[in-house]
Amino acid sequence: MNIAAKNITRLLCASAAIVLAAALLTFAVDPLQLFRPARFFAAMYSPDSRMQDAGLIRSQQFDAVFMGTSLGIHFRQSDIDKALGVRSLKLAMTGSNSREQSFVLDSAMERRPKRVIWQMDDWIFGKAPDVDSDIFLPANLYRRNASGLAEYLLSGAMARESLWIALRSFPALGPVVAKLTNGVTFKFPITDVDDINTLRRDTDIAAAYNKAKAFAAFRSMLAPSRRGSLSQGYDLDAMINGLQRDAIGLIMKHPEVQFDIYFAPYSVLQFVAMRDASPATLKTSYDFTTYAFPRLAQLPNVRLYDFRAVKEVTHDLDNYADVLHHSPAIDLKILSWLAEGKYRVDPKAPLASLEQLKAQVEAYRLEQP
Amino acid sequence: MLFNSYAFIFVFLPVVLAGYFWLGRHSNLAPVIWLAAASLLFYSVSNWQFVALLLASIAFNYLIGYLLIAAKLARAARFAALTVGVAGDLLVLGIYKYAGFFAANLNALLATHFVVDILLPVGISFYTFTQIAFLVDAYRGNVARYALPHYALFVTYFPHLIAGPILHHKDMIPQFEREETKHPQAHLILCGLIIFAIGLFKKTCLADGIQPLVSQAFGPNTPTFDQAWIGALAYTFQLYFDFSGYSDMAIGMSLMFGIFLPLNFNSPYKATSIIDFWRRWHMTLSQFLRDYLYIPLGGNRHGSLLRYTNLMTTMLLGGLWHGAAWTFVVWGALHGGYLCVNHAWNNFGPKVAPRFEKPANVAAFILTFLGVVIAWVFFRADSMATALSVLSKMADPTNIALGRGELAYAVFIAIYAAIAWFAPNTQEMMGYDHKNRKVGGRLEGAGLRPLYLYAAAAVLAFGILGIQQHSEFIYFRF
Repeated sequence: MNIAAKNITRLLCASAAIVLAAALLTFAVDPLQLFRPARFFAAMYSPDSRMQDAGLIRSQQFDAVFMGTSLGIHFRQSDIDKALGVRSLKLAMTGSNSREQSFVLDSAMERRPKRVIWQMDDWIFGKAPDVDSDIFLPANLYRRNASGLAEYLLSGAMARESLWIALRSFPALGPVVAKLTNGVTFKFPITDVDDINTLRRDTDIAAAYNKAKAFAAFRSMLAPSRRGSLSQGYDLDAMINGLQRDAIGLIMKHPEVQFDIYFAPYSVLQFVAMRDASPATLKTSYDFTTYAFPRLAQLPNVRLYDFRAVKEVTHDLDNYADVLHHSPAIDLKILSWLAEGKYRVDPKAPLASLEQLKAQVEAYRLEQP
Repeated sequence: MLFNSYAFIFVFLPVVLAGYFWLGRHSNLAPVIWLAAASLLFYSVSNWQFVALLLASIAFNYLIGYLLIAAKLARAARFAALTVGVAGDLLVLGIYKYAGFFAANLNALLATHFVVDILLPVGISFYTFTQIAFLVDAYRGNVARYALPHYALFVTYFPHLIAGPILHHKDMIPQFEREETKHPQAHLILCGLIIFAIGLFKKTCLADGIQPLVSQAFGPNTPTFDQAWIGALAYTFQLYFDFSGYSDMAIGMSLMFGIFLPLNFNSPYKATSIIDFWRRWHMTLSQFLRDYLYIPLGGNRHGSLLRYTNLMTTMLLGGLWHGAAWTFVVWGALHGGYLCVNHAWNNFGPKVAPRFEKPANVAAFILTFLGVVIAWVFFRADSMATALSVLSKMADPTNIALGRGELAYAVFIAIYAAIAWFAPNTQEMMGYDHKNRKVGGRLEGAGLRPLYLYAAAAVLAFGILGIQQHSEFIYFRF
């Protein structure tokens, strides 16, 4: 063997050794707790819920699952537990569609939860890629197949996080490393599972959620350059397909699980924007409810709630950061309504809340500050 | 299939290399056919619906090439054959790449409602240009007759097929014909492996690493002054490391097959003028545009005015080659304008006194870099409105966020800038000499120090560890 050939062998062996060392480090620290709950190293969590959920499903003890979008992302598991008397796991993912949600929920079903609390809205049922073409969701990590585990163990970013977590576990280095862990450079900055994607406790709620912000968002939505986005995702056929495939399909697959589904309380401004700038979109939204509610409400393991016509919330714009996202105070209200069974859709009159909503939207007159 | 994927690195490349050299023991033609077939497989993995188009394009151009080279046609018939060939190529490119853009503009102008929804075949801009050059050279009488397998491999050769470098038949086909390239040369494989590793590292660690910062300017939120600059600079470096990383990987893997590809980058952000920048950035495209567009248009042979007109035309079409959108046209126009100003300054501007040469060079370097960054804003933006909005934020220092995140991002940008400005480039590190077919002179024999070898091993390892799901190269969409 000549020198160059020997050098090729050396180079490849040295590379393999480095890759193997990184994989071993990730396996030992296991930032996502895919292989075992954290024992030797501190448990740390990432706000990237599409990735983090794969680990939470494995590592956490739970008998109820909370699923949703950014409208449900700030819920605290401890609040859900207290209000509903369950041991919950929050799997909400910002901007998630029904395909992603259904896939993640289906993965969680392997742990046999008794109850699913599912925050829905029209938008999640729009056209979405298959989970294997979804660039944001590491589907194989949920499946725990060879490809998923290889991606996890051979990820340099995960090895870096592992090293960081390992360093943090040394008493002498812990405080310094903790100070440097800010979420900008390291992706596992959260120490308490209850804090994942919740608002910081010192958040100024009045500054974050108020009428001025809601109206600013409303005006921005109606700007000529953005009006087109109002109708984005509102394709009735696609929405119906999504509902059948991702929601009804999953619910029927798991008859032993109780599904508490609620449609989130958008501010009335969202519907008013559609009313004034895109009536066809508003009609699609109503048509979708007309299709979806009777079908969901009649399923024996579903309790369906509609909070979109809860006027004292949706018309009080101080509850909102924009036209959609409500404050943590409303999170707590939602939990109390779910506990009380309030605003539940009657399977015998599944469109009653929709009629209320239509009347409210029709009657609403803008009073901008 | 992506170069930065486990399937490519651990399965496809080793199998194709092994098959190539095994067949090379028995025949000089079989490895060429093997490599062409492997290239088609490589293309078909993620673009199977366009394989027929690629094959049809090869057959069409080979036939036209045959008429121009081998058939004894009269002059007028030769010109007609060339016209048909080039027009055919441009027509296909026009349909697949520009029909939607044309329809959208027509709709805007005439309030019509044409809907054109055609998928862009990956690599079509590259293999069309490569073959147009072949036809033009064949017409000029500069091409010997090539065998079909060699020609097919020249077009499909997988290291360059998707995003270049734009190859020249005179450079490549003789290499495919050489018998020596079919036998493994450990030195070339070692050097190729190291160059491939550097490219992979550039892509997966540097380009993909800085990619999230781009959304600071081009994300859903309106940026502040500092966020707009962070996003624009992040894209500036992302694009460079992404595309030059791809080119390094192409050069490196090709070297393993004993084939030297032309250089595509030469530290472009070290340029001290726009003319200098275009000699360093996407060099094979610059050479193509110069040889097959700028010079045929008249180049600088008919006075200053026509020269500037030709420059602008070339750069406008160069912009449009990148994508069917007005943002690319503006990007091309900006660079055309920069080049005109640069040439005018060289011709009519004052000469710098020797004692001011250094500060003048620094000023020229800064001015060039800023000009390039501003133009990249158009290149990256989804629309003219977005580009203008980002630029307006970059010009408004009264609105600054400067939080903990922005400071951390600024440090990232500084590190990337330091690498782009001060680190030696791949060919300097590896002594890659495309013209003389030499590489790694200093690494030969006992000259390769263990430290260098293990540093290269670490670069390869980090490159592999940096691989992410679904991380395409930016130039795949051009």
